[in-house]
Amino acid sequence: MADAKLKPADELEGRVLADSEEQVELIAPEQVHTDDAEQLREVGVFTDQKDRSGTFVMQDFHSVSAMSLVEGLELLPIHIALEKYDWLRKDYFFKTVPADLNERTSYVAAQETPQGYFVRVAKGAEITLPCQTALYISKENIAQAVHNVVILEEGASLNLITGCISHRRVPSGIHIAVSEMYIGVNATLTSTMVHSWGKDVVVRPSAGIVVGDGGRYINNYISLRPGADIVSNPTTWLNGKDSSAKYQTIIMGSEGSRIETGGEVFLNGENSRAEMNHRGVCTGGIISQRGTLQGNAPCRAHVDCAGMLLDTRGGYIESVPGIKAHHPQAQMSHEASIGRISPEQVEYLMARGMEEHVAISMIIRGFLDADIEGLGQELDARIADIARMAGHGEG
Amino acid sequence: MLEIRDLCVQVHGEEILHHVDLTIPHGEVHALLGPNGSGKTSLMMTVMGFSNYVVTQGRINYQGVDITELSISERARMGIGVSQQRPPTIPGVTLRQILDFEISHMDDHAAMAEKWISQARVEGFLDRFVNAGLSGGEIKRSELLQMLLGDVQLAMLDEPDSGVDLEALDIAGSLVNAILTEDPAHPARRKTGLIITHTGQILDYVQADKAHILIDGRMVGCGNPHLIIDTVSQHGYSACGQCLQESI
Repeated sequence: MADAKLKPADELEGRVLADSEEQVELIAPEQVHTDDAEQLREVGVFTDQKDRSGTFVMQDFHSVSAMSLVEGLELLPIHIALEKYDWLRKDYFFKTVPADLNERTSYVAAQETPQGYFVRVAKGAEITLPCQTALYISKENIAQAVHNVVILEEGASLNLITGCISHRRVPSGIHIAVSEMYIGVNATLTSTMVHSWGKDVVVRPSAGIVVGDGGRYINNYISLRPGADIVSNPTTWLNGKDSSAKYQTIIMGSEGSRIETGGEVFLNGENSRAEMNHRGVCTGGIISQRGTLQGNAPCRAHVDCAGMLLDTRGGYIESVPGIKAHHPQAQMSHEASIGRISPEQVEYLMARGMEEHVAISMIIRGFLDADIEGLGQELDARIADIARMAGHGEG
Repeated sequence: MLEIRDLCVQVHGEEILHHVDLTIPHGEVHALLGPNGSGKTSLMMTVMGFSNYVVTQGRINYQGVDITELSISERARMGIGVSQQRPPTIPGVTLRQILDFEISHMDDHAAMAEKWISQARVEGFLDRFVNAGLSGGEIKRSELLQMLLGDVQLAMLDEPDSGVDLEALDIAGSLVNAILTEDPAHPARRKTGLIITHTGQILDYVQADKAHILIDGRMVGCGNPHLIIDTVSQHGYSACGQCLQESI
């Protein structure tokens, strides 16, 4: 991809960078400005914290709010957690994503005061309500650098919703993030990332996830707003016996956007399992669905990339599922398909009285939902939004 | 109710209906007969407005309104409905979703929906993708149920009796009856219908007022449904059509 040639120096050129001298005091989530709170709602972050176990907000260059509401869930700005726990830097900081992995991670590592969230769920704690985190750009053309660490101790479980968004009136900027997640023995992390970026925002997250024996990692990724230039390829190591990972990605691409999603999963643990489902709806722009699974132990893995091309407007969909087996008992499979909506299908539904855009939305919704279970009510509503927009030919 | 005049229709650039005339008054049910490939299904799909069927000449009037240029949705909302013989499968969309949509738009009878769903015996595939992997009988039950819940006023049924066993025919017959019943308290008051049939079996369940014969895209005659079916079964479509022409 041409994008790979872009270096951070190019991406950062002309951006407004963080002022290391500037200090920000933490506020309660409810104190987030009304206008900003309204933006965050779009990506599933509610500052009234209703039905939430905790809230973190990073606005532009700083962590502005961090609050846990339940026992067993620790939620801190990463720089405070680093001051509090010596072991954090030693054992978890830049361990799954090396600081010198590339120039972007180096840029994050170079921040004098790291910004981002630290989440820890104590041994055996099952946090039933979702924990919400927001990474928010409210100023024009800034460079936001983020470093997050999530630790789930043995037997813990957490549903983490991360909403990444730029303010509606902010069309450009860059978001560079490093996220490291450690899922302990028999722990379960459901990480749902909802993106809604301005049309010229560049998004470059790097993520590393390590899963222990019997641990489960479920990664849901939804890009809501058409536009933006996003490259997201998290790496997961299923090191534990009976560990598993499930990636579910839903993308809407539109004219001028470039969205590359994928990831790598290394199945190192005996009887580990991985499944990747990518769904992309393209009304223009470039959608690149990638995903590589590597079986290094007796394991099962499947990757499925499916695209629906409604309109090209200079763009395309590319599906590149990959599997690699290093062990004779690795059972691995992949499939990829790109199609369009057939007029016959739309007209069939219209003959039942539906308007054309309603029929198209229903078909797109079905396509996005296919084989993806348990997305939850909030995500389901967001998929409906995507389908509605595509049904109207927006984007 | 339905009035078709001088209708010429092309599919992929080839004319398949030639100067067709057809009138079905309100409350009448007509049968449409003809050999395979004669254009019967094309006529129904054209009245419904499917885009593959391009009207090059003539008009279609329904309830006094020229609907020739209206969209499929508009025609459906005016009360026109079709049950297809080979409907498309739609991955990701279930029969339940379509029925829910229809029920949400029903003015009356919403309470009856559950009974009809049970009567149509579709529970086994309600949550499967619509028409995917269904048998011929299941497709007919699904199609007829959708039409029933769609509360149509002009029901066009494409071979509701073909390829089904006697039990399935019984279900199809009762569904067709329900579709065409205007008011259960007054069985004589019916909705308007056009039924394509080869065997005439469905006419044992639904009394047809008239039958039309379509051969090679042309209407060649009409008459008493049972007499025409008997004649066709004894002498074939062409002879029957010729006989009807001579009697004009």
